Amino acid sequence: MTLGIDLGSRHVKIAWENEKGWNFRRFDTIEFYRQYGQLVNNELRIDFDKLHMETKGKVVSTGYGRLTIKVEGGLVIPEIKAHVLGALHQTGLDTFTLMDLGGQDSKIVKVVKGRMLDFQTNDKCAASSGRFLENMSRVLGITLEELGRHEEDPVELSSTCAVFGESELIGKIIEGIPVERLAAGVNQTIVNRVKPMLTQLISESIVFTGGVAFNPAIKRIIEREFGVEVIVPPEPQFNGAIGCCIYGRT
Amino acid sequence: MKKLELSDRDGVAYLAEKIGLTTTVPVEVIYAGGYIPVDLNNVFITGKETHKYIEKAELAGYPRNLCGWIKGIYGTVLSEPEINKVIAVTQGDCSNTHALMETLELAGIEIIPFAFPFDRDRDLLKLQIEKLMDRLGTNWGEVNKTKEDLDRVRQLVWEIDRLTYEENLVSGWENHLFQVSCSDFNGNPTVFAEEAKAFIEQVQERTPFENEIRIGFIGVPPIITDIYHYLEERGGRVVFNEVQRQFTMPFSTEDLIEQYRLYTYPYHVFYRLEDVQREIERRNIDMLIHYTQSFCFRQIEDIIFRNKIKIPILSLEGDRPGPVDARSKMRIDSFLDMMR
Repeated sequence: MTLGIDLGSRHVKIAWENEKGWNFRRFDTIEFYRQYGQLVNNELRIDFDKLHMETKGKVVSTGYGRLTIKVEGGLVIPEIKAHVLGALHQTGLDTFTLMDLGGQDSKIVKVVKGRMLDFQTNDKCAASSGRFLENMSRVLGITLEELGRHEEDPVELSSTCAVFGESELIGKIIEGIPVERLAAGVNQTIVNRVKPMLTQLISESIVFTGGVAFNPAIKRIIEREFGVEVIVPPEPQFNGAIGCCIYGRT
Repeated sequence: MKKLELSDRDGVAYLAEKIGLTTTVPVEVIYAGGYIPVDLNNVFITGKETHKYIEKAELAGYPRNLCGWIKGIYGTVLSEPEINKVIAVTQGDCSNTHALMETLELAGIEIIPFAFPFDRDRDLLKLQIEKLMDRLGTNWGEVNKTKEDLDRVRQLVWEIDRLTYEENLVSGWENHLFQVSCSDFNGNPTVFAEEAKAFIEQVQERTPFENEIRIGFIGVPPIITDIYHYLEERGGRVVFNEVQRQFTMPFSTEDLIEQYRLYTYPYHVFYRLEDVQREIERRNIDMLIHYTQSFCFRQIEDIIFRNKIKIPILSLEGDRPGPVDARSKMRIDSFLDMMR
């Protein structure tokens, strides 16, 4: 059995497969390091007992912190590789464009016949990330679920910064623009930010992963704008962790 | 002040006045004029207080979202009491240099402008070089003599470059370091030549690198301090440093004006592209890294390289001096993994 660990900027995701099927657990990143992590000889020692997890097999990890934090006794694989392996496994497709929109990062990867061909990532800016959606839903006073329902008649948000975007949104609220249009505007902003990268690496199918994939409005806007099929695999947020497990099998 | 002979050694050489450079200019003219050229980029990046230099510029009012090299040069000049004159390249490098020279002038630094004509026009370039000669008090006779001396030093660095891609004995970092130093020969071509000779002898003992991903590094020299080491730790070696190689004036010619016409860096990107294409073939390069500074116009030129070059390209960006950041590491790791 392989334990796949994706150390994300927002959440730590753990996946493993046993005779009963796949198992998943998710933790707040900061909380995870505080409660279950300890740095020993520059490696991350995870308190698996405290997590009530058995670790008889391999541990394969990936994620944002993977370069500064290596899990003790584990293998480390590049993040994009983990995501590609996860997407191949979850969808059964072998040619697609992977769009992973996570807590802080956006990654677009072109996969042809099972092989990664090219990729792009966002620049040093979190304006197209999950963190941006979280902040915006808080400003709007709605849940992420509610935010993900709206795509019609989006208000134009021009700010290119996740922080300035907040004050821009507040300005629009004061103007009296309905929350539906504001929510649609937030979703549209995410699409606008990833559009240049997606345009470069587009395929017939897009596999949409990361926490942002739980937002159906973004999925629909991309389908409409690119005229391609967007597939959200069963476990978009655990895609990287699943990829680690798949790597562990080889 | 005594004119500096290239054969002069340390004691005498340091008597000459220093002139700062914002990028490579016809360095023959500076040595022939009896001055010591100081590439401000090299002083900045090898200094112990790189962040302080940048901070100095930002405290003076330089924007945060501006090239780290420009800010670093500003802070460096104002921190080096020996540098009172700066040759600033007003065309052929970047337009931020204009404001850099203006703010340095405001701080009392003497600015000598130099422009590489965009279309590589020979007459305009000749005029620029001759104006620089007048300003520094030298003539064609002295300049051509200096060129002969410097060309002998350059040949040593060409050999180091050849040993990098043909014999596979030299690391990407060493290749970078020797070539990038040819903008000013570290202020002392004689000592620099001896270092180069000793290095060439020393590498003969080495076992050649093998089974590695051969990387071409195009774009300006990186502000990231450990990029070459990081790549090598992961099985990739830089066998071509595009712009640094240009600083060595790699196209052999006896004509100084022609030499600075053939020099690709300050001119049209398509002219640079021809050189890059040639070297990809000659050096058997597997992949390119196109490095640009954050906030630089050269990021737009990435479109052209990606469009015209058929081997895989990783576009990397650096902002401030320091080791490779976590995001870039993730991208480099994935790219090298993809290349295997």
